[in-house]
Amino acid sequence: MRAIEVSGLEREFEGAIRAVDGVDLEVAEGEIYAFLGPNGAGKTTTVRMLTTLLRPTGGRALVAGHDVVDEAAEVRRAIGVALQEAALDPLMTGRELIALQATLHGLVGAEATRRGDALLARVGLAQAADRRVGTYSGGMRRRLDLASALVHEPRVLFLDEPTTGLDPVSRKAIWEEVAALNREGTTVFLTTQYLEEADNLADRVGIIAKGKIVAEGTPASLKAEVGKPHLEIGLADGSAAQAERVCTAFGRRLPEKEGKVLVELEGGAAEVAKVVRALDDAGIAVESLDLVEPTLDDVFVAKTGEHLEGDIEQAPAAAEAG
Amino acid sequence: MTGRVEVAERRFSLRGDMATVGLLVRRATNEILRVPGAAIPGVLAPTIFFLGLTAVFGGLTQLPGFTADEYQSFIIPISLLQGAGFTGAATGVNLARDIEQGWFDRLLVSPAPRPVLLAGMVASASLRSLIPATFLLVVGFAVGVSWPGIGGLLLAYFFVMGTGALAACWGSVIALKFKTQGAAPLMQAGMFVLILTTTAYAPLELLQGWLADIARINPVTQIVEAIRQGFTTGTITWGETWPGLVAMLALLIVLGGLALRGMNKTAE
Repeated sequence: MRAIEVSGLEREFEGAIRAVDGVDLEVAEGEIYAFLGPNGAGKTTTVRMLTTLLRPTGGRALVAGHDVVDEAAEVRRAIGVALQEAALDPLMTGRELIALQATLHGLVGAEATRRGDALLARVGLAQAADRRVGTYSGGMRRRLDLASALVHEPRVLFLDEPTTGLDPVSRKAIWEEVAALNREGTTVFLTTQYLEEADNLADRVGIIAKGKIVAEGTPASLKAEVGKPHLEIGLADGSAAQAERVCTAFGRRLPEKEGKVLVELEGGAAEVAKVVRALDDAGIAVESLDLVEPTLDDVFVAKTGEHLEGDIEQAPAAAEAG
Repeated sequence: MTGRVEVAERRFSLRGDMATVGLLVRRATNEILRVPGAAIPGVLAPTIFFLGLTAVFGGLTQLPGFTADEYQSFIIPISLLQGAGFTGAATGVNLARDIEQGWFDRLLVSPAPRPVLLAGMVASASLRSLIPATFLLVVGFAVGVSWPGIGGLLLAYFFVMGTGALAACWGSVIALKFKTQGAAPLMQAGMFVLILTTTAYAPLELLQGWLADIARINPVTQIVEAIRQGFTTGTITWGETWPGLVAMLALLIVLGGLALRGMNKTAE
């Protein structure tokens, strides 16, 4: 069974603003699906429809086999949700929040306490469980929000921009937890504006822009669609012309950049060693060698003509984390 | 995997619903218990109102046809309802804040039945309204309010809690409609108008013009009179009580229904 099946999903707001415009997607059980797009692309609106918080104005969506409009209560029983900007009551303690969340999902008494304690320990908040949420850091709040979304062991977990605004260490901790949950069988649907997040976590990625899905597939297949990896070769002795002749055997030559010779590798990254050997055989001294893979941003640019601004802003921090 | 299906298919029970209401009430009381001074404005305002009106209009009892010997005993039901109204309407303001900050989504995305979520908010308002009422009664008895008897006191508390509940429903209707704390004045003013366009300051027989007309049809008049009987006569009669009960029930059904409708329409 598909965990999520969406066909022709639409949401129009007052003033004929079409935030989501005919989205089709399927997410298999046990998959991590990342919905990647810039701010205002329609990611959150889609999640709000899939989690029954917003009624679609067109199309159909099934989550865990239930229609989000006609069987909203069944959908809510099957899903866990951590929405953007974790909305937590600063006056409650972590333990109280988990207890409330458990009760909202029909768990009471010893079972609720046991689940709550286990989850707080899992996300590393056991020591801080009796502190007020208002004293938590951003990363702790996100981890608490994640734990609260898991209290009823949902089949499908929705995470709306789970790491936006987090520092690299906290971001990595969330990634690890999401990956672990997925290994345990939870289907994860996450929205993000961070390329690294989609690339590192997702089995498949849907790229959304202006309310429409413009590309979908595994990160590798999407990147392969827009081009092959290329080598950037820095030369020690200025023999660029000779190096270009050698490299042409491995693929199309790309325009020179900052004095470096660029060549697209027809056979992919596996050909790097052969290029190095060929240059060495030709007596060309190589000073630097960079293999540049296409990114999901390249895919986004290819499909929309624009960059993912959120990721560009955060890229250094994310790279640091990785 | 078996455990997961078991949990996902759990049926909601009365015990679970009561526990949800209890935890929502507990969350609401956090504000009083953990934010020093949060309850002070809601407690002081009706008390000051009570003392001020008693001082200014105390001589009205000399008018022919006035039905009470002491004005403070006549006016205290209004101040009790005002305290409950303010406290209840504050629930609406808190709901608007929860909507703005995304907390309300946490409740809506859970499978807890909507009436249970509303009941949690309303019950917390009912309980919180006991605080200004108790303070006001202590001050009132200190300045000469007549003892209404145990029955009269319990009846007053009952109607105070009911008024807190209906004010919470009203506040919720407005919060769910406008989804902003900016609508707070409407929540407070609505209750203010509802409570004061009754026999608040004088018996119906002494009211004139539009105020008399409105007080006659305003159901809150029946609630005021039901509370007032204990303070002004020292006795409680079924004939003076049942119209207040009917009025309270009718208002709760109407405003509760509107609040529930608003809650169900949040996805639209």
